[in-house]
Amino acid sequence: MSQSRRMSTTRRVSLSVSKVSITRSKTSLNLSKTLLSRTTSGPTEGKEKMPLHRPKQQIQVFDALGNDVTPRPLFHPDPHFPGSKKPSKLLVSQDVSLGSDFTGSYTMFQNTVNPSFVGQFTRSALGSSTVSKSSASTSESMGEDLEEPSYRRETISSYIDLHLKKEVPKALTKEELDAKVDIYLSETETLWLFNLPTIMHSIESEEAEKVTKRNALYENLCRNRAGNDLYVERVMQTFNGAPKHKEVQCDKILTEEKGIMSTTWALYDSYNALEAATSETKLSTGKTSSIHEGSRKDQGSRYLNTTDRTSETSSTIDVESVILAKIHEEEEDHSELILKSEKFQQDLFFMERVLMENIFQPKLAAYRQLPILEGKEEEEEENYHQVKKVKKQTEDDEDTEATEEESMEASEEPIPPNLERLWSFSCDLTKGHNVSSMAWNKANPDLLAVGYGQFGFREQKRGLACCWSLKNPVWPERVYPSLYGVTSVDFSMASPNLLAVGFYNGTIAIYNVQNNNSVPVLDSSESIHKHIGPVWQIQWVEQDKGAAGEEKREILVTVGADGRISKWIIQKGLICHDLMKLKRTTNEKQKKQNEREKKGEALISRQAPGMCFAFHPRDTNIYLAGTEEGHIHKCSCSYNEQYLDTYKGHKGPVYRIAWNPFCYEAFLSCSADWGVNLWQQDNFKPYLSFYTTTHVIYDIAWSPKSSYIFAAANEHRVEIWDLQCSILDPIIVNVANPGVKFTTVLFAKNTDCILIGDSEGQVIVYELKNMPIYIDSGREDAIDILLGPEAHSVL
Amino acid sequence: MAEVEETLKRIQNHKGVIGTMVVNAEGIPIRTTLDNSTTVQYAGLLHQLTMKAKSTVRDIDPQNDLTFLRIRSKKHEVMVAPDTLLGLGLDYGWICAGATCPELCSTLNM
Repeated sequence: MSQSRRMSTTRRVSLSVSKVSITRSKTSLNLSKTLLSRTTSGPTEGKEKMPLHRPKQQIQVFDALGNDVTPRPLFHPDPHFPGSKKPSKLLVSQDVSLGSDFTGSYTMFQNTVNPSFVGQFTRSALGSSTVSKSSASTSESMGEDLEEPSYRRETISSYIDLHLKKEVPKALTKEELDAKVDIYLSETETLWLFNLPTIMHSIESEEAEKVTKRNALYENLCRNRAGNDLYVERVMQTFNGAPKHKEVQCDKILTEEKGIMSTTWALYDSYNALEAATSETKLSTGKTSSIHEGSRKDQGSRYLNTTDRTSETSSTIDVESVILAKIHEEEEDHSELILKSEKFQQDLFFMERVLMENIFQPKLAAYRQLPILEGKEEEEEENYHQVKKVKKQTEDDEDTEATEEESMEASEEPIPPNLERLWSFSCDLTKGHNVSSMAWNKANPDLLAVGYGQFGFREQKRGLACCWSLKNPVWPERVYPSLYGVTSVDFSMASPNLLAVGFYNGTIAIYNVQNNNSVPVLDSSESIHKHIGPVWQIQWVEQDKGAAGEEKREILVTVGADGRISKWIIQKGLICHDLMKLKRTTNEKQKKQNEREKKGEALISRQAPGMCFAFHPRDTNIYLAGTEEGHIHKCSCSYNEQYLDTYKGHKGPVYRIAWNPFCYEAFLSCSADWGVNLWQQDNFKPYLSFYTTTHVIYDIAWSPKSSYIFAAANEHRVEIWDLQCSILDPIIVNVANPGVKFTTVLFAKNTDCILIGDSEGQVIVYELKNMPIYIDSGREDAIDILLGPEAHSVL
Repeated sequence: MAEVEETLKRIQNHKGVIGTMVVNAEGIPIRTTLDNSTTVQYAGLLHQLTMKAKSTVRDIDPQNDLTFLRIRSKKHEVMVAPDTLLGLGLDYGWICAGATCPELCSTLNM
């Protein structure tokens, strides 16, 4: 068989191919069974052999004429070269593929058939491609190795058995050669070199026709191709470019370490900044720049860049400071920016207030009636410790405190009630001005409005209205300068931010104290019905329109020296209605009024200048008006022609009328005739008169705590009267410094303090100390107690 | 602007106030009435303390913020008003500090 095999190899070219292939296949089939007793080839033991170590079997090709046309091999592997292992492997693989080429080179007819034989075992190498000529790139370099089909056999086997271990070949005995060798073949992993999956088209599809046409064309092509002169086989070799080493060095990468402590607020800030950024980007891009500019004040356009940069980074101060530290020139601008910004102003405001608090702390504490410990500096520490201990309330300290209190009390008893000066509201602006009126804010008990203006005609000069806060006694919160002296101020109840100011020239103005704008919100200068003379009193009054069913409405009531009491309504400006025209009344003694008028003094005007008014605390329809004549008229809002009653008791202009806050029957009046009168509503003669001085009494006020206590300010002193104590003498007399006149007096609402304004522009806060305490201070029937049962009798 | 200057001046001239200074976020004083070394020292130290206090307040509640810081010692009291111009998109801080001598206050109430 082997001989026949050999012989078959030496057959002619034309036939040898098929035979070779067959034999090859046969040999490949027989590999598993028989011993390959080829002498020329080394025995295959089922293991990979070095084909190089075996003597090669020479294939001899003879043509029809018997000429030896054996092609000479192009490649001679060096058996001694150890590294030729690899090329052998290459050879192996190549040869395997060569196999098909080999067959193909001989004949083109069997092209498709032959590889199939070979392909049984070389399928893995060939894959599914039928034409592998292109894949055999190195076939030319390999040359046409025809010498050893057995070589190929071995190569095939060796290729197949690649995964098996190599063994060193040793000399084989004949027995071994004759022995049956079991060769196991197994399929290796499929290496996919090319996979073109079939694309199927439905017959009904649009492209079906084209596809079938193309298929038909292709079939034709295949058929025609074999043996067609148009098609020539060519093999190509790609050139591998010569590799070249190239070195590149990059610049040094600068690294910087940055550490940030991620705190809760940093996260919060960055989230908020992101949200703000996203909400901003939602707006049109054209607007973002304007928004940036609008949200900042007094900034140049170059800050836009910094804003854009910084608004998107996480807001950590380190990052910002790093960026900003680099831009040195902007620093100066930033400092200006800081100084101009509103927040800075606010901070300064706080700072000032805190300072004031520090400095005035004991005074303010006294005002607010917080316990303060007085003591010298030596005792300070003791007191300090005591204060601390008091908080802890240990027994020892209670005792010490008790003893201290006792000692204080013991020393207190002989001390009469007095005024203790706490502080004064004054500043440079107000120096030299006469305090004409004061009013507390209805909503904020710490806010005080003070009007500065001269009383006399000759002394007129510029005036101002200030709003002072308890928290800052050194500088007013608001300053409203004006050309004319301010004669009266009052805060509104319904809108506590409105301050009504009456001026010496008869105009009134309403300011909004919420902003620092010194321009009044409303002004009556253009009103036709404005007062012609000084507005001596201005007051906000709540009037309920019970009958009409409307809610309480607040109106502004003023009384002027032109003899008119007007009410102003804020309705598109100030609208004025006259409540009353104060007509001059003649003396009681003169019975024939008309005749007397002619004979009497030539009246300049029919109207008596009004100096003050006071609305009844309960019934706001009734009010009392005091005139320059000295008469007090009881009037009603319903009647604007007639008085209800007249109280005659004063001989000079009545400067102030005040209803008792507890007892609604009694009211006080003070006038320039040096006296204060206490009246009872139904009596037209004063019940009590207090003529203690020889000076004009400018102001009186009832104490909000007791129905018996009132204060009166005359030029030289302020007197505090307690009617329960004595109706002849005041309990406290505070004498003014010479040259200073006390002009106004005002009680503080929640505390035992009294404010006294003087002609030098100071508003001094005094604390009423050691006032006699009564259990029933707020009695409504105080007047009865005071005056006895005759109170109600009408004289 | 004038009002700011006025207020600053009033604070500076107040009885008991030793000095005031306005510092920006990096600790560089913009305005000061104290001498240079004291200013620099105070600025540096107070800056750190203020940042720490601010961080503390905000850590507890991020929506909260530090408005005022007062440090009372035996000899002086230092008041710091820190702030940031967050509304302007710049993250700035400055300090306005004044030191008063508490002996001038008649009582020492805590």
